[in-house]
Amino acid sequence: MNSNDSLSYSRLEKHYGQHHVLSIGCLVMLPGRIVHLTGRNGAGKTTLLKILAGLEPPDSCSVTLDSRTLTWQAVRRRLRREVVYLHQQPYMFDDTVAGNLSYGLRVTGVPRARRRRVLSGVLERMDLAYAAQRNARTLSGGEQQRLALARAWLLSPRVLLLDEPTANMDSDFRRQTWELLQHMLRDDLAIVVSSHELSQAERPDCLKLHLQEGRLEAGPRSLQLVGQDWSDAPDYAGVAS
Amino acid sequence: MDSLLQPTQAAFCLLVTGDPDLWTIIGISFRVSLKAILVATPFALLLAFLLAYVRFPGRRLVVSVFETMMALPAVVVGLLIYLLLSRSGPLGDLRLLFTQTAMVIGQVVLCFPILVAMGYAAIRAADRRAWETALTLGAGRPRAMLTLIHEVRYGLLVAVIAGFGRIISEIGTSMMVGGNIEGHTRNIPTAIGLETSKGAFAEGIALGLVLVTLAFGLNLCLNLFQRREAHAL
Repeated sequence: MNSNDSLSYSRLEKHYGQHHVLSIGCLVMLPGRIVHLTGRNGAGKTTLLKILAGLEPPDSCSVTLDSRTLTWQAVRRRLRREVVYLHQQPYMFDDTVAGNLSYGLRVTGVPRARRRRVLSGVLERMDLAYAAQRNARTLSGGEQQRLALARAWLLSPRVLLLDEPTANMDSDFRRQTWELLQHMLRDDLAIVVSSHELSQAERPDCLKLHLQEGRLEAGPRSLQLVGQDWSDAPDYAGVAS
Repeated sequence: MDSLLQPTQAAFCLLVTGDPDLWTIIGISFRVSLKAILVATPFALLLAFLLAYVRFPGRRLVVSVFETMMALPAVVVGLLIYLLLSRSGPLGDLRLLFTQTAMVIGQVVLCFPILVAMGYAAIRAADRRAWETALTLGAGRPRAMLTLIHEVRYGLLVAVIAGFGRIISEIGTSMMVGGNIEGHTRNIPTAIGLETSKGAFAEGIALGLVLVTLAFGLNLCLNLFQRREAHAL
């Protein structure tokens, strides 16, 4: 792994009152890989993902970004540009499909001509060209999920965090989402997918993390994937608690 | 029955024939109230947003104060502003008493709590994911705030319409700080009071019809926006 491409979080702590929600020693985002984050309902997966995305403040956390280590508060705005978080049920703005798709490009100042060029290509690729001028809220759940993924991917983030994207979805939809994620994966993009269903994590092609009692655990399959002991491996999308 | 019918017919005549005195009064009413709502709305909505999204000690108390102030009697607001703007008051040197500016100030004070409290309720009711989605897609906080305001625009329009409805028909503040000066600070509610006391019922009814029509129109708008808001959620 090129250290210039690295994004890692260390000494991440989060409490809600007396309740200790998260206590994570180290978490490294590995470009070009999909990480499957599991944990039972209420384990703190959503809280963790929102902290990683710069949306929810931790009690303490250091972030190493491009070889510089700063506090989470100091890099929060940068995190929001580098890491995109997708809700379990993606939020669609009260706008057209094209308007939703271009939102991120608009607010980050991409010129209109370039936005149009990019949009037409993505709408075609996502099979959403027919609905470009429809209100995005009238799309089906699967189409909204595709649109949300495309909307995030267009921003070329360093990390894409998906919070239970296939919850309450049938097996066909899960397979489609998974194929789409693998299609979207680039060498410079890390994807983290959370799920409370352990069976979904049984995919041989992704790294696995399990969140339990606020701590991250790496399963034996993950150790095999990286080919070394995770505690000694800096280029592991993993973990030390 | 004739005592009601004849003045009503005369009132319609006055409205249809474009009686200049009558339309001057209507013009003053709308000018003052529109200015007041335009001045109050941006500040009130910004405050509503801060109350909804910034956590600080006593936030709930501030919201309660604004909710209580929604029922503030107009005549009390008029009295306070009168005391502030009167010659011997702390702002007496500005010589604003009995001017349209004084009426605008009074109406701003009256509609501000309505805009804050109802705006706060609309913004609080917004889906939290809207704010988080805007931020995670690269919007800065000001841009995310504008996005959120757009998402709850129907709820905010309901607040603005309710605020406007309150001030266009209030009499206490306008009478006390405006002075009901003909052609200058005489608006619809103060004129109705005056014309009725003089026994000029036709003018009073004509102006009353304008207010009732306006109230009906505002209610229609409220219903329309509330229905759109329900569809937008």
